[in-house]
Amino acid sequence: MASEKTDVVIVGVGAAGGILAAELAKGGLKVVGLERGPRLQTADFMPHDELRYFQRQDLRPNVKRQPVTWRANATARANPLPVLNYGNQAGGGTIHYGAVSWRFHEDDFRARSHTIERYSAAAIPEDSSLADWPLSYAELEPSYDRAEYDLGVSGKAGNMQGRKIDGGNVFEAPRRREYPLPPLIVDQAGQLMDAAARKLGQHPFPTPRAILSQAYKGRTGCTYCGFCQGFGCHVGAKSSILVTKLPEADATGNFDLRTGVMVYRVNSDNSGRVTGVSYYGPDGADTTIEADLVILAPFIYDNTRLLLLSATDRFQKGLANSSGEVGKHLMAHMMPRIFMTFEDRYVNTYMGPSAQKHTVDDYDADTFDHSGKGFIRGAQISVDTDNLQGGPIGTATGMNPPPGVPRWGSAYSEFLAKYFGRHAAMVAQTENLPYADQTIDLDPNVRDQWGLPAPRLTYDWRRPNELARVEFMMQRMEEIGRAMGASRVWRAPLSPGIPGAHHEGGTRMGTDPHTSVVNRYGQSWDIPNLFIIGSSTFPSMSGHNPTLTIQALSYWTADAILNRYVRTPGPLA
Amino acid sequence: MSKDSVTRRAFLMRAAAVAGAGSIATAGVVPEAGAAGGQTPHKAAMAEPTGAKHGAFFNAGDAATVEAFVERLMPGAPGRPGARDAAVLNYIDLALAGPYAEQQYFYRRGLAALNAYCRSTYGEAFVRLGAARQDAVVAALESGKASSFTWPTAQAFFNTLRTHTMEGMFADPIYGGNKNFAGWRLVGFPGAQPVFTPGDMQSKQQFTRAPIIGLQQQGPMPRKGGK
Repeated sequence: MASEKTDVVIVGVGAAGGILAAELAKGGLKVVGLERGPRLQTADFMPHDELRYFQRQDLRPNVKRQPVTWRANATARANPLPVLNYGNQAGGGTIHYGAVSWRFHEDDFRARSHTIERYSAAAIPEDSSLADWPLSYAELEPSYDRAEYDLGVSGKAGNMQGRKIDGGNVFEAPRRREYPLPPLIVDQAGQLMDAAARKLGQHPFPTPRAILSQAYKGRTGCTYCGFCQGFGCHVGAKSSILVTKLPEADATGNFDLRTGVMVYRVNSDNSGRVTGVSYYGPDGADTTIEADLVILAPFIYDNTRLLLLSATDRFQKGLANSSGEVGKHLMAHMMPRIFMTFEDRYVNTYMGPSAQKHTVDDYDADTFDHSGKGFIRGAQISVDTDNLQGGPIGTATGMNPPPGVPRWGSAYSEFLAKYFGRHAAMVAQTENLPYADQTIDLDPNVRDQWGLPAPRLTYDWRRPNELARVEFMMQRMEEIGRAMGASRVWRAPLSPGIPGAHHEGGTRMGTDPHTSVVNRYGQSWDIPNLFIIGSSTFPSMSGHNPTLTIQALSYWTADAILNRYVRTPGPLA
Repeated sequence: MSKDSVTRRAFLMRAAAVAGAGSIATAGVVPEAGAAGGQTPHKAAMAEPTGAKHGAFFNAGDAATVEAFVERLMPGAPGRPGARDAAVLNYIDLALAGPYAEQQYFYRRGLAALNAYCRSTYGEAFVRLGAARQDAVVAALESGKASSFTWPTAQAFFNTLRTHTMEGMFADPIYGGNKNFAGWRLVGFPGAQPVFTPGDMQSKQQFTRAPIIGLQQQGPMPRKGGK
């Protein structure tokens, strides 16, 4: 069968792919979006069902059919991860995410240079591959602004063109204007944390989130139902790709979304260009589609996996991999956590958007002096629920009881009965450094439902720099918790090396084709009509959540394609 | 066949032995009180039906063992609903017949090892032990000290039963547990509320503005958001 042809194929229609699909289709290009999961609707999210969405992870990839394996080091055997923290439907992770949505700090974009300037090269762990980004915050600022206003983000500015504003994040990079929407209501735990952090001389603020605090662009505001992280929004107030960019893309008439399809290879020819992709349909049918431009925008595992699976005689190490860097520098936020109980009041943390509700950035990035601390880079610290969501299954399975209280029996039941409504948690989202031996590759033993090798992660966060940072953050959280008036403050156990949330890396961007996979536009150094978009391109990861930066980079790349590449196809940098 | 009809059939098969729905809640509590001394045989175990539904997966003996075990994890007391009140057994039974079917063998082996351990240590099956001895057995599993287990390990079996107990306590009743919102009443969770108002968000009290809502009570989608 002759294969069909289109201008652009986008693999993965999530946080990045959805924006590129809409912007390129609006620009007049014919776009085919290939999405592994289904396209759900807001009406699908009415069941507020903690078992289905949180506990059984209904909006995430199935760990049996779509396994991802993990091992702590290259000599260990890899086993499938029990939970996969990314999306599996049109809109990707923006359907179920907690919607924390903010820009990176200025020094996040030049963490290596900044560290050397303020401290010394010796401050960077010898084995870390920490690198500057090939673009600056100032260059990306217009795209951040566009993402916030286009999608709808609620927050309060803390740095307006250099003017610091109390109540916002005074450590944020300068922004040209206020957020498009005021902050969401601050819940009881957020108010307690705000007062406590101020008492300690810190600068708390309501976490900016891509959740509408009031009606915006025809969409309704948040109802504070609390079924947020892990759930789709039942009123469409979460600014997911499903309710923002997909309708725009549909309206162009240039966008063809195909769901339930698994792309297994990017095709290339002897001229060194990619020609399109091949995929399995929902019925297993093997289909090839040709395209002038191929954009890879799935979750990071599949960027690396697809490039490796697409090796040819010409590209023997995989596509876009002349540098040998594909799959390296895997990063993840670790989420050390404390819990708190209160005696004289309820805090009802199950109400309202559940993830990282109220935050201090006083220990993030390089906002504080790291001299003598034994680590570089920091963490955001936020008050929230037990496991970023607020229901009782999450509490019973995600909160270890305090010392002296057993995990079962009468004493445990009494503890839960008394403190479910009178407890809160705090989490530090740490900026772990990149290391070249933290990798993604193809698992030689485990295959997925399509018979493809599973992505295999080799990763252990427990390195001296990262352990020292976690201990420091635990102590800061305990201080804040005690200042909040908690009767008990205790720690959650640390993870056994397994990567945490928000994975980054594998196809890092840079200025040198010998040490990076893509340029500042996500364009492959080796293959100019192949773009790779998403947090897989991050050279370092910031303590902030990645999605808004993924989205800003998507607008940035869409502009570069429409304004420059389409006129003169070829290298953009 | 729907979950309801499966459990209904199982329920009807045992109907002759079941006094009625009204007795279910108390059935779980009284024997525990009687067993407080620790050595009294567990009266509810074999001789008396508890009324909790099962039959989609478990046979009668395994059902009794699971029901007794999960009641030790989340014991009922006056004013404090427990696993039996919440019909956690029914939740696990349905889960193993459906979404957790791959864990059937895990349960079969785990339950056999549990009773082997009880017999070798105390000369009786788990359900025949008094509450204090049952608690000692549970603790031996939790700490991994219980012998007789290979696969699953004692700790893995304990952890799975604990997780499934919490699911059965706190998942929506549509899944067969959390009967009459027993779990949500225990902790004061109001269920699937579609809206919390600014007043709710600022309150330092327990939420009581609206009744507990489950999936089968959820109404049409609210169109107006909070400001």
